[in-house]
Amino acid sequence: MGTFLLRQSVLAVLGACSLAGVAHGAEVSGQVRAAWVDRQVSDAGPLGQANQLQSGSATVEPSAATVQAELRASGSAGPFTLHAVATVQVRSPQGGSTTSDGWLNEAYASGKALGWQWSAGKKVVSWDVGYGFRPNDMVQQEVRRTLASEALSGKPLLMAEHFDAHTAWSLVWVNPLEDRSNTGAKEAALAARVYRRAGAVDWHGFARHGEHTGASIGAAASWVATDALELHASVRTYQHANSLVSVNTGTALSNANPWQATRTGAGQQVLVGGTWTHESQIGVMLEAWHDDTALSDAQWSDWTARNLALPAWLNRRVPASAVAGNLAWQGNAFGASSNLRKDNIFVRLSWQHERWQPALDVLYHPADQGYITTASVLWSGDHVKLEAGLRAHGGPDSAIVRQLPVQRQGYVVATWAF
Amino acid sequence: MGFLLLAAATLLSAEAQAQDITTLLKNADRYRMSAENLQVDTQVTVFNTDGSQDKERRYTVFAQSERKSLVLMQSPMEKGQKVLMLADDFWLLMPNTQRPMRITPMQKLLGDASTGDIATMNWAGDYTGTVVGEEPCASTSTDNNTKATCLHLSLQANRKGVTYQRIELWIGKTRHEPVRADLFVQSDKLAKQARFVMDKPTNPTTVAEMVLVDQLSNKKETRIKYLARKDRTVPAEWLNPMFLARNPALE
Repeated sequence: MGTFLLRQSVLAVLGACSLAGVAHGAEVSGQVRAAWVDRQVSDAGPLGQANQLQSGSATVEPSAATVQAELRASGSAGPFTLHAVATVQVRSPQGGSTTSDGWLNEAYASGKALGWQWSAGKKVVSWDVGYGFRPNDMVQQEVRRTLASEALSGKPLLMAEHFDAHTAWSLVWVNPLEDRSNTGAKEAALAARVYRRAGAVDWHGFARHGEHTGASIGAAASWVATDALELHASVRTYQHANSLVSVNTGTALSNANPWQATRTGAGQQVLVGGTWTHESQIGVMLEAWHDDTALSDAQWSDWTARNLALPAWLNRRVPASAVAGNLAWQGNAFGASSNLRKDNIFVRLSWQHERWQPALDVLYHPADQGYITTASVLWSGDHVKLEAGLRAHGGPDSAIVRQLPVQRQGYVVATWAF
Repeated sequence: MGFLLLAAATLLSAEAQAQDITTLLKNADRYRMSAENLQVDTQVTVFNTDGSQDKERRYTVFAQSERKSLVLMQSPMEKGQKVLMLADDFWLLMPNTQRPMRITPMQKLLGDASTGDIATMNWAGDYTGTVVGEEPCASTSTDNNTKATCLHLSLQANRKGVTYQRIELWIGKTRHEPVRADLFVQSDKLAKQARFVMDKPTNPTTVAEMVLVDQLSNKKETRIKYLARKDRTVPAEWLNPMFLARNPALE
């Protein structure tokens, strides 16, 4: 274990503990979480092919055991309320060496002045109404549909909020200290949300201006239509989006990674969905969304054609390492957007029965009939929670989800809360 | 002429009974809701049919006037979870998301204990009904209340969003303290049977515990113990759904 990592871990815990010591009426809680995630690496897809040609040319996340300790502390110091969440982690990947790490998920101070609530520090600020996709999650930009839920890490921000009985205003300066050239999660931006409750409907309006991506505006609504049915929708239109684009879409070999960060033009993201819950505590969620930040059908066609063409270079006495490297670079396409395809359909069926909550969900891509199925079960006790699940990719061999390097995953998580 | 007099008398009688019901319910409510705005610390313990303890949960409930309640989950496994109930509208905040979500009345029933059982502490605003008559307070011959006489009220919800659509309620004949109740869900199935344990059996002033026995599925017994009650009016902004994401101010 590196000294630096050890220092980080200790500092993260000390940070939360010292907050508990400084603050009046401090409240401390936390949890210890042990997880095993098993990943079956596939030979299919460009990354699988790359590693077949030359082992290790493409990085694929291995199966791993993880133990995390999370400490939460909050209290008040004078006119301020202080809040911190720290995590220390020990991770042991299969075939690799054990590492440890530590970080502060949240650490912020908040208080009230001039009729507004103010917060400064690292904080989780989640917006929008969807489950599978949140176009207007303009601050946190949370990764959705992760295999097993984990504590979120907040963003550095300054935030002002105003509340009355029916309306809420939020103004956020996110990543205020980041360099202006930073993009993605570290992009400095101003974001705003206005919320209004009108009977059975929640209305949300959003606006954001990023240093790199420019302006975007959005709106969302959640409507309880009947005792059992909730409907929601969210739309966002943006000036620019961060993405990746390949400068080599043909069959020629590249001597450097052809996938480069780019700023796309204007586009839209739209989500509609609903949840229906029966008296027997069975729930069904259905969502459909469109995301213009995802690679287009034409880009995926070019990508697929290049994947098929690259191995042919082996017949032309090109070193296997060069072909393997080019195939490995093709894996960058998976990270171009939070959605692989522009159009998505998501269905989730769940049942709550006493301490048990089994669930089954499917993410489907109409463009290529690819789908990802996840089955999970959760058992919750007074202090202990157990979760287990399986995720598998299906559909035609040509479907994009079938090209991902990991096609089957399983996980077991045990959480002890105190 | 005779017919008109009879009709008028019937109408007046119905109105008088409605007033009676409202008064009776308000009297019964006072044993749980001693003030318009309260903070109530609650312990919920669920027992298996063999008497062994299944689980225990703690909640802080800010029960406010005009059917507004904020429930903070305090047990280790639920810490940070919050439910806001504003009349017929409900929101849930899960601590791992920090994102308030609108939920349906049906979703409100999900979870370890029905939030409605914990947060709803009055009947007068939510139900109308009739006085069925005087009946023994005891539901069975083995009950301790075999000799006491109760008023049997049959109540029907006058708004959507309540946890129980129909309630058969027995209250003390003299002091109108709640004694027991049969609770029916929307499909008119008997969901739970409730028993109210008073602080002082001979001279009751407040409900110390509500005992619920599930009648739909598992027959488990849930004991809702009111650990502490104090007058507390929360700021209006606390009852804004988006305020749920503000953590420490509520702790």
